[in-house]
Amino acid sequence: MTSASLFATSVALGLLVLSGGAYGVLYTLGVARSNPLLIRTSYACYAGQLLLVLAVCWGSPLASLWKLFIAVSGVAYGFIPPATWRLLETLHHNQAQ
Amino acid sequence: MYRSQKLALRYFVAAITLFGVMTAAGLLSALYYIDSSLLYNVFDFQMAKILHIDTLVIWLLMGFIGAVYWFLPKELGREVVGIWIAEVLFYVFCAAVVIVAVVFIVVQYGGSNEFSMWFINQGRKYVEAPRWAAVGVVVVVLAFVFNVTATAWRARKMTGLLGVLILDLVPLAVLYLDAFPKITNMSHDLYWWWWLVHMWVEATWEVLIGCLMAWSLMELMGTSRRIVETWLYIEVMLVLGTGILGLGHHYFWIGTPQYWLSIGGFFSALEPLPLLGMVVHAVYDAGANHMKTTNRPAFYWVLAEAFGNFIGAGVFGFMMTLPQINLYSHGTQWTVSHGHFAFWGAYGCGVIAIMYLILQRTRNAPEHFDSRAWKWGFGLLNLGLVGMVGGLLIAGITQAIYERAEGGSTLQAFVVASEHPWFRSAMYARFIFGLVFALGYLALVYDLLTIGRRVTVAAPAQTAPA
Repeated sequence: MTSASLFATSVALGLLVLSGGAYGVLYTLGVARSNPLLIRTSYACYAGQLLLVLAVCWGSPLASLWKLFIAVSGVAYGFIPPATWRLLETLHHNQAQ
Repeated sequence: MYRSQKLALRYFVAAITLFGVMTAAGLLSALYYIDSSLLYNVFDFQMAKILHIDTLVIWLLMGFIGAVYWFLPKELGREVVGIWIAEVLFYVFCAAVVIVAVVFIVVQYGGSNEFSMWFINQGRKYVEAPRWAAVGVVVVVLAFVFNVTATAWRARKMTGLLGVLILDLVPLAVLYLDAFPKITNMSHDLYWWWWLVHMWVEATWEVLIGCLMAWSLMELMGTSRRIVETWLYIEVMLVLGTGILGLGHHYFWIGTPQYWLSIGGFFSALEPLPLLGMVVHAVYDAGANHMKTTNRPAFYWVLAEAFGNFIGAGVFGFMMTLPQINLYSHGTQWTVSHGHFAFWGAYGCGVIAIMYLILQRTRNAPEHFDSRAWKWGFGLLNLGLVGMVGGLLIAGITQAIYERAEGGSTLQAFVVASEHPWFRSAMYARFIFGLVFALGYLALVYDLLTIGRRVTVAAPAQTAPA
């Protein structure tokens, strides 16, 4: 691995998780406040995350198995905020009843 | 107030004092990177680093123990069984910490013999305390386990939260026994040593802080027990599911079989996922309560805990956890950067949040618990921490590039990287932000001493700006 690819890959991996976090926060805030702009911004963050997944899979010198793992986890990130939100809603709804 | 809750306050005083020692030792450690001849042959870098790391472990442990002693009688509606043992052992614990610290500062090191191991320094990273003190830690933790389990037994009451806590206390005590090795093969020795270091931090402590945060959320936001317990089960399942085999990322380069590269990399890379769920949960809870709280300091520190954990452990961890990257980043300041951020986010912020929560009760300020100083403490500590980890990250990447990727990990490359302007500048930045952090610590101590004392008129619950 060259120093340039080491730097680019690790920064892309960090940004990948960070954009996943931004997606989660903005999605939750957007749904909680019924704010379509925030929800759209959260989807933009997720789209950014998928672009980073593509960049890592195409451009990084990581082994194929790790690229596959990153691709799968990139998809998984998409489900976590809505699934967590639904779970929390169900919990709170049951509690209220 | 129960006796165990008074004991909890004493534990918090000890914890916050050790937090100060940790900060001072950290600042001194940072100075050696600017002037490597500093205190040469008087007080070497290794001793400052030992003080910094060991006090980190002990202040957090004391914070956890104190928090449990606070919440336990409330949970069970009775005094802790054997509280006098806990009270005696608290003073024994404090005296042992002082003696060990004095030995580290004055005696520092001894010969390669049994006497040194028993009375000066055990020589094991992160658990350097001499063996007599390590035995003392085992006694304190076992007494703590006895206090919790015997109280639950005597109260004839078991909640889900308490059940998780008691189950977690077993590995908390047992794993520490890895601090007493008799193995001479270094790979075998490190293999088991990581069980202590990793499992305490990324398994048992995570579950412990999860239990404490669950109690805190019930008090702070009035979240129902059923919700926090359900969420705790999910969190424990996910954290243990990824954290236990995530241990493998420490096995990459210590002579263990090659399959650890795949196991460690895979499970470590999964670790950010439950952390993302926790962030979503924190934002949801804040939204569900419309950011309303009577304890803004605790509320903001809880939020800092969720975000700090995610960024420090999740983002910074994922940058360097895959084996192909870790080959270059392992053991550089990059790792130090990740360690600082993750510890602060996962545990430091959580313990401080609990302290504020408890102070609100002890200062009898149920409606209005606010001050200006906590904002300074919160801002300066977090700014200082972010600045420090930023500096360390730049220094670490410089090492990974110039010492490892380009230099081939030779001694010459190590020197070249250490003298590189990026590394030097980053180390200056780390020290300056360390000073900011230290100022934040002073503001925090001032606030903990004064907040809620001057309230005479009850004010309405406040809405924190989003």
